[in-house]
Amino acid sequence: MNETLKVDRRDAKLALAHIYVAFIALALGGLAGLLQTLVRSGKFTLPANISYYTILTTHGVLLGLVLTTFFIIGFQFAAVSRTAGTFSDRVRFWGWIGFWLMTIGTAMTAFFILIGEASVLYTFYAPLQAHPGFYLGLTLVVVGSWISGFAIFAHYARWKKEHPGQVSPLLTFMAVVNMVLWLVCSLGVAATVLIQLLPWSLGLVDRINVLVSRTLFWYFGHPLVYFWLLPAYMVWYAIIPKIIGGKIFSDSLARLSFILFLFFSIPVGFHHQLMEPGIDPFWKYVQVVLTFMVAIPSLMTAFAMFATFEMYGRSKGATGLFGWLRKLPWGDARFFAPFVGMLFFIPAGAGGLVNASHQLNQVVHNTIWVTGHFHLTLATTVVLTFFGAAYWLIPHLSGRVMTKAMNRLAIIQTIVWVVGMTFMSGSMHFAGLLGAPRRSAFSTYGNSPQALEWIPYQIAQAVGGTILFIGIILVLVIVTNLAFFAPKGETEFPVGEVAETAERTPLAMENWKLLIGITVALILIAYTIPFIDMIQNAPPGSKGYKLW
Amino acid sequence: MASEKIKGKATEDSNLKGTLASVFLLGFFLIFTWVSVYFLFLERL
Repeated sequence: MNETLKVDRRDAKLALAHIYVAFIALALGGLAGLLQTLVRSGKFTLPANISYYTILTTHGVLLGLVLTTFFIIGFQFAAVSRTAGTFSDRVRFWGWIGFWLMTIGTAMTAFFILIGEASVLYTFYAPLQAHPGFYLGLTLVVVGSWISGFAIFAHYARWKKEHPGQVSPLLTFMAVVNMVLWLVCSLGVAATVLIQLLPWSLGLVDRINVLVSRTLFWYFGHPLVYFWLLPAYMVWYAIIPKIIGGKIFSDSLARLSFILFLFFSIPVGFHHQLMEPGIDPFWKYVQVVLTFMVAIPSLMTAFAMFATFEMYGRSKGATGLFGWLRKLPWGDARFFAPFVGMLFFIPAGAGGLVNASHQLNQVVHNTIWVTGHFHLTLATTVVLTFFGAAYWLIPHLSGRVMTKAMNRLAIIQTIVWVVGMTFMSGSMHFAGLLGAPRRSAFSTYGNSPQALEWIPYQIAQAVGGTILFIGIILVLVIVTNLAFFAPKGETEFPVGEVAETAERTPLAMENWKLLIGITVALILIAYTIPFIDMIQNAPPGSKGYKLW
Repeated sequence: MASEKIKGKATEDSNLKGTLASVFLLGFFLIFTWVSVYFLFLERL
């Protein structure tokens, strides 16, 4: 097992397989998103009796779950192979098993959504009831991802065994933290699907405890956001410094922020349920406090990024307060796309603090503000970072190089995305403040004056959605070129080095018993009592509904 | 000697005034957004 500069060809194939599925999901899910914005403008009706809620579910599941999970696991496989050495045949074998389970699960889920048997929206809240095949498909996706997670853990354990007393490579450590986070949080969704939703959908039980299912969903749903975000942070912390020609500001700070995400991103699901009856306000308050704790590692990341850029700029002779900004490689899409993603994380984070505050949540709860919010976090910050990573990762894995023309197209793609998202997400935020609901097809609500106020914003969303769809076409052109048509050659997998002035990383940061112990303790503190309360004082439960 | 050299380099490169200004601007933006929606909440009470 050698640490090499290049990902082994066999590992590259595994990573690429994941990335292909991710971009196919982007094409289909993006089309569904475009149709949604057109329907909501009030100027377009779906043909052939296709339901708005079918395309809403398609969009959410394909982009929120499939695109992200596949890209993340593919990227992490490549990053771990690059920094901790080529996989053993066994690790690679289990990686493929994970891939095929996830792919079969995705196909099953997509099938039941598309035939109109599972329009239960992205969050598949009970009492909306889908066909059992939908839940089974999702289970396969999650189980497949667990297998891939264990493959990464096994490889990491072997590296640690072969390098006693050494700190693991930063990217490998980060991938391990992210998969631990995923494993711990996805237990919640697995529990609600296997214990509640599937037996209820199969008709084995009549009624379901809705509050318990929603709580288990959000136990999973919020850390899911960090499962998306941490790979973007991997790129920012460990790869962007190399791309700009600088150094990682601090290895310890990067690891500490990941550890804090592991601790604080899970016991916070109640901030999605602040308006929900049946949960004691005290426990909502506890989880809101923990939610604000999770802002800390994001602020640490913002500081580390600014510092990396400034140190680099000053080393190139930049002067003045912001002179260092001019030294950054604006013409390099590998930097530009993730940098724009970082910028969008500022309004995204600000919106997140609003969502998580109890009183302010009353202003925006279940409005399209929230949709606007996660189109900044996931669909801009994370996705633009993933696009930026794809611009070197795909050619590295496919043995090709990105041409100047493709780089220019990638810069244009980023600008198109910014324009589209500013229109779409911006108008979603404003319409949300005026009370426009999320998860709803077009309606004038009996020509109520308040609903009529939303229409101009909904038209702006359709304009933004159309521009974004052009952005999707552009990125698909670039990705197809990089995978199959770009000139053959060697592309670097950039991995940053730590600045000489940074402190040494303490080995305690890899004490997994301690890290997982604190994670579990925080979850138990935040969830045990309210969860017992939900079960002991449960209402009779609900029958299933198919409202579409 | 080596550590003195590194220290000297640290002082030279660690002019992070721009970073300080940036994080302050970021902080003000977060507070501004939060307070704006809070006033909207109060207005609708």
